[in-house]
Amino acid sequence: MNTSVTSIKLVLLGEAAVGKSSIVLRFVSNDFSENKEPTIGAAFLTQRVNMGDHTIKFEIWDTAGQERFASLAPMYYRNAQAALVVYDITKPQSFIKARHWVKELHEQASKGIVIALVGNKLDLIEGGAERKVAREEAEKLATEEGLLFFETSAKTGDNVNEVFLGIGQKIPLKKPDEQSQGSSGLRINDDNRVDLAAGGPGSSNAGACNC
Amino acid sequence: MMSSERRPSMAERRPSIMGPLSPHVEHRGSNLMVPHLAGLEDPLPDSTPGNVDVVIVGTGLVESILAAALSWQGSNVLHIDANTYYGDSSATLTIDQLKQWVQDVNSDKMKFYENAKLHVSGAIRNGKYSSRDFGIDLSPKILFAKSDLLSILVKSRVHQYLEFQSLSSFHTFENDSFEKLTNTKQEIFTDPSLPLMTKRNLMKFIKFVLDWESQTEIWASYAEAPIATFLVEKFKLDKAQVYELIFSIGLCYNIDVKTPEALQRIRRYLISFDVYGPFPVLYSKYGGPGELSQGFCRSAAVAGATYRLNLKFISYDPITKMALFSDGSKVSVTEKVVVAPTQSSDNSMNVPEQKYEVQRLTCVVEKPCTEWFAEGENASVVVFPPDSLKSGNKQAVQALVMGSGSDICPKGTSVWYLSTTQSGPRGELDLDAALEALEESIIRESSADLENDENILQVGSNGHFVLNSVKLGQSFKEYIPREKLQFLMKLYYKQFTSTPPFEVVDPSIFDLNSTDDDRLIPGASDNAVLYTSPPSAEISYDEAITAAKVLFQRIVGSDDDFFDIDFEDEDDTEKLNESAITDDENMNMTLDTGMSVEPVEFAGEMEI
Repeated sequence: MNTSVTSIKLVLLGEAAVGKSSIVLRFVSNDFSENKEPTIGAAFLTQRVNMGDHTIKFEIWDTAGQERFASLAPMYYRNAQAALVVYDITKPQSFIKARHWVKELHEQASKGIVIALVGNKLDLIEGGAERKVAREEAEKLATEEGLLFFETSAKTGDNVNEVFLGIGQKIPLKKPDEQSQGSSGLRINDDNRVDLAAGGPGSSNAGACNC
Repeated sequence: MMSSERRPSMAERRPSIMGPLSPHVEHRGSNLMVPHLAGLEDPLPDSTPGNVDVVIVGTGLVESILAAALSWQGSNVLHIDANTYYGDSSATLTIDQLKQWVQDVNSDKMKFYENAKLHVSGAIRNGKYSSRDFGIDLSPKILFAKSDLLSILVKSRVHQYLEFQSLSSFHTFENDSFEKLTNTKQEIFTDPSLPLMTKRNLMKFIKFVLDWESQTEIWASYAEAPIATFLVEKFKLDKAQVYELIFSIGLCYNIDVKTPEALQRIRRYLISFDVYGPFPVLYSKYGGPGELSQGFCRSAAVAGATYRLNLKFISYDPITKMALFSDGSKVSVTEKVVVAPTQSSDNSMNVPEQKYEVQRLTCVVEKPCTEWFAEGENASVVVFPPDSLKSGNKQAVQALVMGSGSDICPKGTSVWYLSTTQSGPRGELDLDAALEALEESIIRESSADLENDENILQVGSNGHFVLNSVKLGQSFKEYIPREKLQFLMKLYYKQFTSTPPFEVVDPSIFDLNSTDDDRLIPGASDNAVLYTSPPSAEISYDEAITAAKVLFQRIVGSDDDFFDIDFEDEDDTEKLNESAITDDENMNMTLDTGMSVEPVEFAGEMEI
């Protein structure tokens, strides 16, 4: 039980320049988990978090800019178990956009998705800038929609890890017997899934040619 | 790697275009290139870029592969689509999107499609099922386990965005029933219906075909002869096996297919067997080419490409190098504008001829159809060889049946994709005949009524069940289904493509664009535009990579950098290295399908 790893697909949403990616970069480059450096590949960023007797592996999907012209593919939302909806606490427009993304997630994403509403750039307030989105207003939205809520600073790292820990705690962990449920409708059935990286060139029955 | 005079790649010509390298990525070998990771380092502007290297219009599979290949190569790509969804002619659509699509086809807004007829049952309209429970492919495809596209999916890491399932069940329709294909060594040996001689001949043929090219002495005199003649004369195979080999294993279109081409197609199936397990092909969950397109588009976006849906291409002027779009925006283009024929502009005069027809019939039925799937699987291929249908079909009809486990339809339903290369009104007749055969078969096979019918199964005086065989026989003969099969959706359409129903992929099939860039037709909105090839009738993905590479080469000057990328991966560094070695060695792969350069691996298991 102490080696169980749960993979979680987490998607990022929010207006441009609110710090979506900075939050993730801050999270994945911290010493916060015992794990080594994060991986930047073609697909997504990954980071492991140890939570007591199990490990959560976050597969973090950045929008890669595809949200700019409302051209996020359905694939982006599919099977996402968690989402960060990020806004900038000094930009009211970005909070309006956040509401839009929450609505979009309820429409497009799977039912059980854990959504965290994140007000970023807390450091600007501490630096004397004016807060434009009241904490209470965001909290109200979070309560209404059943979201986790955090205010963070990606710059100082303030509260960033808490976002991911909070999500990790809220994600229902897969129990061993759930995985073998088979093709029951909309759930992912791991048993019939073929991993393309696992087989393939050179790995099977090569070199056994006797004819 | 060989030509000394190759045009420098765009990345080489303009190294400054590269964004800052990510500090976390190590360089591995001199080929490694880490492009600017979009959105990670800098916030992106909210407007379309004013200057790009390449504009690609249409997000079909070939265009999407091209976009990803160019973006990772270092080109600055603007990729747009006139539709509000990804995929263009490879799209995976919901029922509502299909309705709109059919309207567009019939009002001539959707080019190179014709005669779309859609029937949607009240069960979907009234809410028993919702439109979004369905993901219907406009050109469904299956993926051979040993194929160029699969290698690129792995190499580009695009496979990580997708889920794949196996498909091992191939049926041939003959004498009004489905024969399950005996396609493995074990099945050939254990199939009680096969006489010993047949088994021996079949095994002999399978051993030969895996390495057919080098054994010229066996087939040379049949190079121009139909494959059936060769199989009967050289390997003494019966009609049943010949038809299975040509139409189910080879997935050929008609009986005239020549020996070498058919051998190559039969080999394609056999070398794919046992690469990932005891099945030759895979498909992606949630939809086929539409999903793959989205995956490659995302990959392109990660490498810096800009995406805009719902934007039409209006014109391109090769002298000012400006491309114009429907929202009035303009972009200056350094290299090329690439356009899918389906999204060509008004007043376009350079679109290659789209003369080949593919006729399709796609149905959603309220039956799970698990009878046709292998255990634990959710899909099967059913082939109706020429002259096997009531309509007296001259071309094969191919059907891909997918169950709810593939997540393209809700529980209790399945999707039947039928297609044929038969042109004209005959095509629809053939599709209807095949549909009828499928319908009769599934009602017969799935009928639980038979076993539970009180008249057939009676309780004897000792309390045991007794089977009334007279009534059983009668019942089989006179069996009339109590319930007709419920069709939730039925869609007919005709698609046109520039790609002929090919047997073996060849780059020349896709090299349709004029090489004379100075040829300007006055008044044309598409001078110097490169056109892509729409999906063909081919049920596999065989054409996609070759078609994308032909365009890549035209734009970049060489295909050396076609997905010449290497990624670091956390968990599977070892796995990655394994496959990277294979890939690296095959780097100088020809523009061939890749089939002929692969070592024969299946042969290792063969013993007679």
